[in-house]
Amino acid sequence: MSETILKIAGLITQYGQLTALKNISFEVFENEIIGIVGPNGSGKTTLLETIAGTLKNRKGEITFLSRRIDDLTVRERRKRGLMLVPQENNIFPMMPVRKNLEVSGVLNSHEEVDRLIDYASALFPVLKDQQTQGAHTLSGGEQKMLAIGIGIVSDARLLLIDEPSIGLAPKLVTKLFNTLKQIKEETGKTLFLAEQNVKILRIADRVIGLEGGEVKFVEKSSSLDEKSFQELYMGQ
Amino acid sequence: MLLTGFINGIIMGGVLSLPVLGVAVVYGITGIPNFAIGLIGVFGGFVTWYFLSYNMVLSLFVGVAVCFPIGYLLQNILLTPISNKGGDATLFFVITISLGFVFEGLVKVIFPRPSISIALPYMGSFSVGGVSVEIIKLFALIFALSTLTVIRLLEIHTRPGQSWQATSRNLKLAKLVGVNTNRVFAVAHGIGCSLACIGAIFWGSLYNLNVLSGWELGFLGFIIAVVGGIGNIWGGMLSAMLMGMILSYSGYFLDGNWQSVILYVIVILVLIVSPKGILGSERSL
Amino acid sequence: MKDRFKYLSTLFILLLPCLLVLVGGYFQEVAGHVLLFLIQGYVAWFLLYKAGQPFFGYSVTMSLGAYGTIVLTEIYHWQLLVSVVMGTLMSCVMGIGIFLGTCRAKGFYVGMASFLLAILFPKVIDALKPITGGRNGLYFDGVYALMDTNTYYLILVFFTVAIVGFFFWLMTTRMGQTLILIAENDQLAQAVGLNTFKYKLVAYAIMGLFSGLGGALYVNYHGFISSVDIEVFTTVYIYFIPLLGGSRVCYGPLIGTIIVILVPDLFAAVERYQRILFGLIFILVLVFLPDGVGPSLERFWKQLVRAFRKVPVATN
Repeated sequence: MSETILKIAGLITQYGQLTALKNISFEVFENEIIGIVGPNGSGKTTLLETIAGTLKNRKGEITFLSRRIDDLTVRERRKRGLMLVPQENNIFPMMPVRKNLEVSGVLNSHEEVDRLIDYASALFPVLKDQQTQGAHTLSGGEQKMLAIGIGIVSDARLLLIDEPSIGLAPKLVTKLFNTLKQIKEETGKTLFLAEQNVKILRIADRVIGLEGGEVKFVEKSSSLDEKSFQELYMGQ
Repeated sequence: MLLTGFINGIIMGGVLSLPVLGVAVVYGITGIPNFAIGLIGVFGGFVTWYFLSYNMVLSLFVGVAVCFPIGYLLQNILLTPISNKGGDATLFFVITISLGFVFEGLVKVIFPRPSISIALPYMGSFSVGGVSVEIIKLFALIFALSTLTVIRLLEIHTRPGQSWQATSRNLKLAKLVGVNTNRVFAVAHGIGCSLACIGAIFWGSLYNLNVLSGWELGFLGFIIAVVGGIGNIWGGMLSAMLMGMILSYSGYFLDGNWQSVILYVIVILVLIVSPKGILGSERSL
Repeated sequence: MKDRFKYLSTLFILLLPCLLVLVGGYFQEVAGHVLLFLIQGYVAWFLLYKAGQPFFGYSVTMSLGAYGTIVLTEIYHWQLLVSVVMGTLMSCVMGIGIFLGTCRAKGFYVGMASFLLAILFPKVIDALKPITGGRNGLYFDGVYALMDTNTYYLILVFFTVAIVGFFFWLMTTRMGQTLILIAENDQLAQAVGLNTFKYKLVAYAIMGLFSGLGGALYVNYHGFISSVDIEVFTTVYIYFIPLLGGSRVCYGPLIGTIIVILVPDLFAAVERYQRILFGLIFILVLVFLPDGVGPSLERFWKQLVRAFRKVPVATN
């Protein structure tokens, strides 16, 4: 049985008067892919940002690797091994692709960084092909890959990714998801993915359903039927 | 002394609140911080002064009648296009300051006198709680409060007013449902400039009016609006009252220079502690 | 390589004012005045565009350096050099203080606070009239008790080149590169593990240091300062320098200073319309040349060169 890498208990996050996360509790196990799904506005991004530290939770506890991290800054959480790849604003547009990746390795040694960049480039060849180009010249999908590449090079143990498939063509989505599964299997990382695309069921070990800021269910994806899930829950 | 200070403070607040309302209305609806609004208002004040000798009532209207289209056209020709191209707050900051230079120059070129005083008929004063209050100042306060109320009522109960609310709350959605947001912006800006003009007229009748006071009114209006929570007109009013009282009370202990200093220091402190202002902003900056 | 050329030629151009010593008089005086603001312009270029910090208080740091120097020398009779150092340090501390005070605020509010400080500061100077001379200002001999105007002028040129050169060098270091990253995407920089607080703190300290030094140089050059010189418009002009000249290029502030400081002097003939023209020019540049004059000139130059190349060479 895998160890718990992240534990959320009674989490409440507010935007002024609006409560975006209402008493959220769940656990994430080491080296699993856990998906968090839900319609727009259900609080997925808020949850990810609260875990990463961009947002502060009003109440509740976040425990990562058996230590409370509620009071830590984004950077301190990153040092502990937790990083968020946001949905937008997730690259340094004016820097060359390679620079974007190098910067992510600022807390690692040079050899490690080179190895991680090679690994990321193997997964996403465009990162090597375009390594001297400015990141802003990449297409939307390629920028997404760069953002995930930044996450890989950070060598975080728990990688949170906000809607990795958004804006990608269906074929690319399948490819990307398979790559994410590959990352999980080859590196032992834990991936926490917020998604609206039902294909997440194919790679996630477990799925958390979020609606209106509340956890509606936590299930093994094997016990969920893709089609009925999509109709009932994703509304796509 | 406490009471005197309080009453004087409220009255002062009333006088200050007009430029504040101008800024708050413009920013609340368009999201643009216009630093030239004080100068546009002063421009209108000068226009009023110019026609004062012909016909007093008419001259008041002329001033406002000049400022409204200025605001309307500026918004349509300059500010909205920049906004659509994705101008950010700092860009608007520099552009509106440059606009301020232009109006400053216009005042200097068009009008013969650099510093004027608008001689409205002396309305006398009356006594409140042992304090002598000039009626005209009270008038300014009442005017500000009624403008505030009228705006709010219009926003809630009339169709155009609801378009205003929609535009300021969610621009994209407002466009989608068919609101003519460009016109809403232009009208808002026109009204804001007119309010600034009325504020300048009151100011000009109580004190002096010159280009320097144009900048001061613009800046003061802006910072008071920010302290109250920018875009929030009730917040702006409250904040103006508070500022009025600070000025009033500090006048007992300090001389003129230090009064301004205290005011700005307090504003800076408020911003550092609570950037969204006292009552919170109705818009995200 | 091309970039190197631009940096070096900018520094070279900045050395040229030395020649004005031969001419002296009015031109030399104006050149010195331009150089003083050039320093502030480069400071703004650094903090605003290379480090991405929306700071509007350059007139405050500049005047702290200036007033620190003159007040300590004239009123408290300190040694000139000590006063200069003290004024510069005070400005540096102010820069750090402003950063610490505003680091929790976001975006525009940071700019607002420093802008308000810029409005406030002349009022403080006025209020402290007994020491600062308020609107009447203070006079002093300053450095002219030790040397003549030409010598100081050359020292000023030297300092300008040194300061601008420092900024150029800084941008090539790791610190400078990191600041550019922070300017691009502060959140992401934090997320990948950079200590953005530390870097920003240093950036503000550098800003304060050089802006204050520039202020000390200013007050020594003119021998006079009053609250009128440092009204909020001074900070607005300084802010305009990199904005108008072009923030992406290293010679942007040079062009910007010439536009902002020299052009109004040229308009002195039409003094009546000066403000209007000034304002209109700014608006036109901001709207039509959002990159600034510098890059636009570069583009224009390239088009010209391309056009020349297309013209067939006459053969004999």
